Amino acid sequence: MRVQLFGTCMIDTFFPETGMSVMKLLRHFGVDVSYPKGQTCCGKPANSGGYARESRKAAEQFISVFEGSKDPIVTPSGSCASMVKNHYHHLFKDNTMMRDKALAVADRTYELTQFLVHELKVHEAGLSGKGKITYHASCQLTRELGVKEEPLLLLQSLNGAEFIPMPYADRCCGFGGVFMAKMPEISTALADEKLDTVLSTGADTVTGCDHGCLMNIADAVRRRGARIAVKHIATVLAEGLK
Amino acid sequence: MTREELVNLFIENASKVSAETVRVTTDAELNGALTAILADTKSVFCQQDTAKEKSVVIPPDKRIDDYTGASVCIEEVAGAIAETGSLVCSSQGGKPIQAGLLPGHHVAIVSAENIYEKLDEYFGALGDSPPTNITLETGPSRTADIELTLTIGVHGPGRLTVIVY
Amino acid sequence: MTSTATSIPFRANAAEALSNSPLRAAMRNATETFAKKRTEATASLPIEEWRTQASDTRLRVLENLGEYVDRFSANAVRAGAKVYRADNAESAVSIVGSILKDRAVQKVVKSKSMVTEEIHLNKYLETLGFKIVETDLGEYIIQIAGEGPSHIIVPAIHKDRKQVGRLFSEKLGCEYTEDPAALTKIAKKILRDEFLSAKAAISGANFAVADSGSLVIFTNEGNGRMCTTLPPLHIAVLSIEKMIPSLADLPKFMRLLPRSATGQMLTTYMSVITGTRKAGESTGAEELHIVLVDNGRTKIVAGEYREMLKCIRCGACLNACPVYRLVGGHAYGATYPGPMGIVLTTLLEGMEKAHPLLDATTLCGACGDVCPVKVPLPELLHKLREERVERGFTPYLERQGMVGFGFAAESPQLFSLGQTVARVFWPLAKKIPGLGALERMPIPAQITFGRSI
Ligand code: SF4
Repeated sequence: MRVQLFGTCMIDTFFPETGMSVMKLLRHFGVDVSYPKGQTCCGKPANSGGYARESRKAAEQFISVFEGSKDPIVTPSGSCASMVKNHYHHLFKDNTMMRDKALAVADRTYELTQFLVHELKVHEAGLSGKGKITYHASCQLTRELGVKEEPLLLLQSLNGAEFIPMPYADRCCGFGGVFMAKMPEISTALADEKLDTVLSTGADTVTGCDHGCLMNIADAVRRRGARIAVKHIATVLAEGLK
Repeated sequence: MTREELVNLFIENASKVSAETVRVTTDAELNGALTAILADTKSVFCQQDTAKEKSVVIPPDKRIDDYTGASVCIEEVAGAIAETGSLVCSSQGGKPIQAGLLPGHHVAIVSAENIYEKLDEYFGALGDSPPTNITLETGPSRTADIELTLTIGVHGPGRLTVIVY
Repeated sequence: MTSTATSIPFRANAAEALSNSPLRAAMRNATETFAKKRTEATASLPIEEWRTQASDTRLRVLENLGEYVDRFSANAVRAGAKVYRADNAESAVSIVGSILKDRAVQKVVKSKSMVTEEIHLNKYLETLGFKIVETDLGEYIIQIAGEGPSHIIVPAIHKDRKQVGRLFSEKLGCEYTEDPAALTKIAKKILRDEFLSAKAAISGANFAVADSGSLVIFTNEGNGRMCTTLPPLHIAVLSIEKMIPSLADLPKFMRLLPRSATGQMLTTYMSVITGTRKAGESTGAEELHIVLVDNGRTKIVAGEYREMLKCIRCGACLNACPVYRLVGGHAYGATYPGPMGIVLTTLLEGMEKAHPLLDATTLCGACGDVCPVKVPLPELLHKLREERVERGFTPYLERQGMVGFGFAAESPQLFSLGQTVARVFWPLAKKIPGLGALERMPIPAQITFGRSI
């Protein structure tokens, strides 16, 4: 099976090791992963800020990079996947040709855990894990994409690890893209509340499917000096490969 | 659903919203229940219009004609909704429905045959010219405006007794 | 055109609220309780089906709002009411004022109504010399405190029992107590006398029924019933979008409104009031005046934000909103707070004044999930953000930054140059005021993912 990987600008810039985990994971399950050249950002930050023109530019770039293939597009981010799947076609409502292209790439796009569970059945592969793990359900992943069960299935399947559900797991961590920069007082207060619920689980690792949220949570951890690891789900899963 | 099942459903749901409930089938039972309920009350208002209201016996020293000063109001209400445990109070036929609101204790008699199963049945049949005031009363008056602490009996009655007859 | 002198200083308000610990504790307690009760009250019910039906009914009304308003008015008149149309706040308050002036009343008891807050009715009537007594306990509390509501259902949600206790002892001269039951009793006693002596009442309405001309009012305390049955003069003030087609539609909303608002199956009282007291009746006002307030709704209903007017003011989106939960309602500097408030305030009061509110959301979507009539709040918020950008109401630096983003996003070379620049200048950039967010992000990696494979 062949797959095109959309790495996301955030992983590209800040978290290349997460990208490597995604590659390792997909390859381990026999997937031929390509990383199409020319990919930049899905346009989410501009789009949520209300900058339609700029997010359209990003969308056009995404479409031109990925449209040449029929392979699934996999991305380790709920908010990027939702941007492509739920928002692109709105950006081109006055341009039928581009809208059709947008719908076509949307159709091929999967958030990582969706792909791992539904196409690769990774939750039945008996991966191993360690320690106590809790999970933050990020907003776009949960509410826009409707991906609720997949990450849980994967985490619960890890042999040797204990999965501890977090209270109010799907409550916003306060990241919100541009929100983080424009409303820092509220953003950090929400991250602090999120960290309270994270720590209430007694877990030693908190994971999730979006580096935006995880970054915001990691910042709260840093500010408080708390002792808990913050890892993308791809990394947690890749660590369990033999 | 049989009539008796409907009555039971209504009683169950009315209890859930903190109403006291009594089931009677004769005038004697009705007055028996009322004697117990009225034992410690000072003044009772009852308009005694309907047949069931007429059969209510009120000790003469407790009877009062002005509902604004009464501690208890006894009245037969227009009906009830089983699904929600609500009483239907209606201004039809000259009922002063505020009489059931001002006294601290509202004793409502509901005729078993006037119990509707669902809200839709009742409101679906109301038509376009309803009486001036229809009020659904579901449990005693309450507020949670201070720290969401439930407090019973604000402007309306703090005690609601439902007698199904 | 970033924040003009007339725009709402949301960020500053929010920062202030965040440092107010009694407020934060009260907000957390209240919103948490409500959200939990709502979840419990809607579990194991066909809630999705109900939401769809209720949403469809509301949309049907909005598509022909003018017609429904006409039908309601004709039927209300048939039942004995007098109906007035007010295009804006000024005309609404002056209609109410002149009704009262003509009747030579001095005091008015009032049951909770958000639209009267929107048109600032109390303030206007007070300048005319009328005494206004709010009778919903929460409204009464904020009235004697001289504040506005901070929640559309629980107006004094931001106060804890100690604050209410101090307020009562200070303003009402009673002995200090912080027992909610005792405080309630104190207010009840004062308000009972007000009810019995009042010659006029003002209420809102949760719904107006077009086919019968009825008003529908939900309350828990009984104050709505008092207001609409005791005084001989009843003035109802409501916004035009409150219409539902017929009484047969009412159960749909009875099932959803209380459950979404407080998690109750039904509020204690729900009154359907149709016209004035008829011959042979002993209940009902002798005079019923209904003031239908437009105040911009006809324009909203014709535009792309129509669905906002489906709102039935349950407050569920407030309780679900992470931002509202933290900062409370006053930070929004407007009548309606929370997600629905951001949208409605922007539509009613204009982008110029309200644009800072559009930052008061993470677009997490929690509001859209709980709305009983499926107002697409996240979509509307997003659409308004786009409009704000188009109309130039975002800060200059942000706009320039986004232009740069647009260029980089469509040019991989430029994009990777940007990454390099960011990495090199990161330590420096962190020090620039306004770029504090960088402090909270990790340092860009030496080698990007794209280049490392
Ligand atoms: S928008 Fe929806 S959830 Fe919010 S108050 Fe209105 S009806 Fe309730």
